[in-house]
Amino acid sequence: MGAGRVLALLAVAAIFGVVIAWPLTRLAIEALGSGTAPFIAALGPEGVDAIRNSLLVALTVTALAVTGGFALALLTEHARVPSRSFLLAGILLPLLVPDFVSALGWTRAFGPAGLIDRLTGVELPGLYGPVGIVLVLASGAVPLAYLLIVAGMRTRAEPDLERAARMSGADGAMALRTVTLPLLWPVIAAAGGLIFATTMNTFGTPAVLGRPAGFATMTTRIYSDLAFSSTDAAFERVLGLALLLVAVVVLVVVLTDRLGPRRTERGSIAGPRGATRPAGRLPIALTWTFIVLTVVVPLLALVLTALTRAVGLPPLPENLTFANFGRAIDSRTMPALVNSLLLAGGTALACVALGAAVAIAPGQRWRRRGSGIVSLGFAVPGSVLAIGVLLAFGRSLRDSLLIILIAYVAKLWALAARPIAAALDRLSASAVHAARIHGADGPTALRTVTVPLISPTLIAAGLLVFVFALHEVTISILLYGPSSATLAVAILNVQQLGDPTVTTALSVLLTLLVMLCAIPLFVLRRWWSASLTA
Amino acid sequence: MSLALECSGLRIAYGATEVLHGVELTVEAGESVVLLGPSGSGKSSLLYGVAGFLPPSGGEIRLEGRMIATPRSQEPPERRGVAMVFQHYALWPHLSALDTVAYPLRRSGSDRGAARRRAADLLDLMGVAALSERRPSELSGGEQQRIGVARALAREARLLLLDEPTAHLDAPLRAALVAEIADQQRRSGAAALWATHDVTEALAVADRVGVLREGRLVQVGSPAELYERPADLWTARLSGPASLLALDIVERKDSQAVVVIQGRPHAMSLASDATSALGSAKVLVRPDWAEFGGDLNALVTARWYRGPHTDYRLATPVGELELRQLGPPTASLGDAVRWRLKRGWAL
Repeated sequence: MGAGRVLALLAVAAIFGVVIAWPLTRLAIEALGSGTAPFIAALGPEGVDAIRNSLLVALTVTALAVTGGFALALLTEHARVPSRSFLLAGILLPLLVPDFVSALGWTRAFGPAGLIDRLTGVELPGLYGPVGIVLVLASGAVPLAYLLIVAGMRTRAEPDLERAARMSGADGAMALRTVTLPLLWPVIAAAGGLIFATTMNTFGTPAVLGRPAGFATMTTRIYSDLAFSSTDAAFERVLGLALLLVAVVVLVVVLTDRLGPRRTERGSIAGPRGATRPAGRLPIALTWTFIVLTVVVPLLALVLTALTRAVGLPPLPENLTFANFGRAIDSRTMPALVNSLLLAGGTALACVALGAAVAIAPGQRWRRRGSGIVSLGFAVPGSVLAIGVLLAFGRSLRDSLLIILIAYVAKLWALAARPIAAALDRLSASAVHAARIHGADGPTALRTVTVPLISPTLIAAGLLVFVFALHEVTISILLYGPSSATLAVAILNVQQLGDPTVTTALSVLLTLLVMLCAIPLFVLRRWWSASLTA
Repeated sequence: MSLALECSGLRIAYGATEVLHGVELTVEAGESVVLLGPSGSGKSSLLYGVAGFLPPSGGEIRLEGRMIATPRSQEPPERRGVAMVFQHYALWPHLSALDTVAYPLRRSGSDRGAARRRAADLLDLMGVAALSERRPSELSGGEQQRIGVARALAREARLLLLDEPTAHLDAPLRAALVAEIADQQRRSGAAALWATHDVTEALAVADRVGVLREGRLVQVGSPAELYERPADLWTARLSGPASLLALDIVERKDSQAVVVIQGRPHAMSLASDATSALGSAKVLVRPDWAEFGGDLNALVTARWYRGPHTDYRLATPVGELELRQLGPPTASLGDAVRWRLKRGWAL
């Protein structure tokens, strides 16, 4: 190993120590240093309530989202669907809507005085409270489950495997039960684990829909204890809840990962791909109803509210205005917008640079190990990570963007590192060997062969991190100060003041921003998979 | 009705792209028919259509006289009573070899014990009894395909579909497995429809060969017919090595002809489809249809020693000629040699 490479590896290790290892160690010292007090505090009546609520919500959301995702995957992968690309866009659209924005959209659509209430006089009972939280989070998690299961179907349950079952005399349902499902269990388990973990960690939706109903989850309890009480008992409860949260999440992730995707030896695919059987009318109608109810109507309600002159006016042409957007951009939200963009940009650059640094790790085994260790930051719930960062750097960096940046890098590093490591794995060693044998030294081969081949992945990873950072709120709500609020935090704060027109206008702005950044991601994805199959 | 399979006017399309343009094909009971064609010629599509994974866009398919697929309605694959060996094996990663072979038996109603006993017999038959507890990831390609064949045999179907079953195996393994599959198929009494792009495989196992070109059957006949009387130059090149000589025919009677080479008359056997015209003609010559000796001149331009025989490329006054002679090389590169033409096929 050259000296340059050693230095670079040391630098990456040092950054890992600062952004991930030290905050988590600091949290562990603080919590364990105070003996059993944090746990006793966490297991008090309010703590137990929050724990029970979190588990209840996460389990229900996981079950609903995985079932929905699997059903949709069967529909789009096993049958020919009319206007397939529209349907896919509809299924995947929630990925681009921050979850608290969806929650706001649902309140404007199905809540009291919402769009549906106005049109039909019907409102969704229990929207504020567990039912609403579960519905919003589950419909938001369906596309994630769908994507993971479709990817699993494509790599694990090749069409020929099911065809072989049909040729052996199994009908469609039997082939599903004896071949498709057993092959997909690991993928379904992994998807369930991931959705369970993200739901446990989520803050925005429970904050918007739970707080008015006095329904607290672990994350909203941690937030209100940190933000609104300054007693030692409250802080001890924060520590206890944080440790319990991290324990549950890590346990579930590890368990499902154990079950999870064993590497399969199969590579190539034979036989015609793509379904030839047309899908039934009922499943298609159900899917479109689902998309309209959970995506289109809430977003429409959100946009209409943002465009309506005042709350309570019907969204008729004479009441429509862009003025809310003008009012939304004020001396508080403008800096928040700038903060969000700066943070997202900084996090994206840092994570891609750090993710790409694993490229210089000697060999695939070290690359795997590296991205595995970094995943720790992603697995640890955002609120726990934020508390660790607060304990480690709160004194010196309070009210600065830097402290949020540290937490963001810790959280999102893995998001960039994993695809980059995977791209490097896919890169055949012979490409680099060929460069070396034809006269390129190590750095030259890296520059002329490796980097050009993985550059689409680098760009995609950067955009992915950017989008995530842009609508992140769980971490920033705990770390922001007067001058370092992000747009998402500003929206939640304005929402508590109860001005729907401004809140929705800001939400629309944020969502548009996210979508704008995500468009190149979709384009790249297409180009990227095309270049892989070419 | 002694037809195992009957495709009439069969068309298959992927969306707007038609890949089979009206195929007429029959397979008799117990018969082995090989579809020969380059990749993309529609072999696999035809097999998948018969299996029930692709609906016909035109024409119809009958199995033992029973209509199973028209553009309007198709019988589901599991009710067609057809077995298939897949190109990429298509073994289920979560099942052991024994459970894999027992699977079709379970589906046709055997109880677990009986299915496993029969599966063990079939694994034994394919020479892989020792691997019955292994999963596909622990098996080589050849072993996987033996299990794939055992699974297809377990289906006890009247028609066996074989989609390039040995395409991904090493050459020495390939010939042995092909022979074994053909042997088992004959014993089981099932008819077989193979797809392959390998001509030696096709000629070796087929009762009849169907040549597919861009979704059309261009020739159907016995292996010998295909080799000796190919329909056109494309089929000739697909069905084995062939040279094309420009000859001047001066006399013809039945299958005998006199041609002029190097200004001298030369008697040979010459077959052709219909024409008995005299004059200049393109004549196809297989490497074993010419030999050294005789009174014609040529120059050796290339030579390949193959073990049992040696292949030569000769530059002759009537064109480039490939010639095969048993035994080790007797002439070297650049040597002037003498040769004679025994037979030809006038295109």
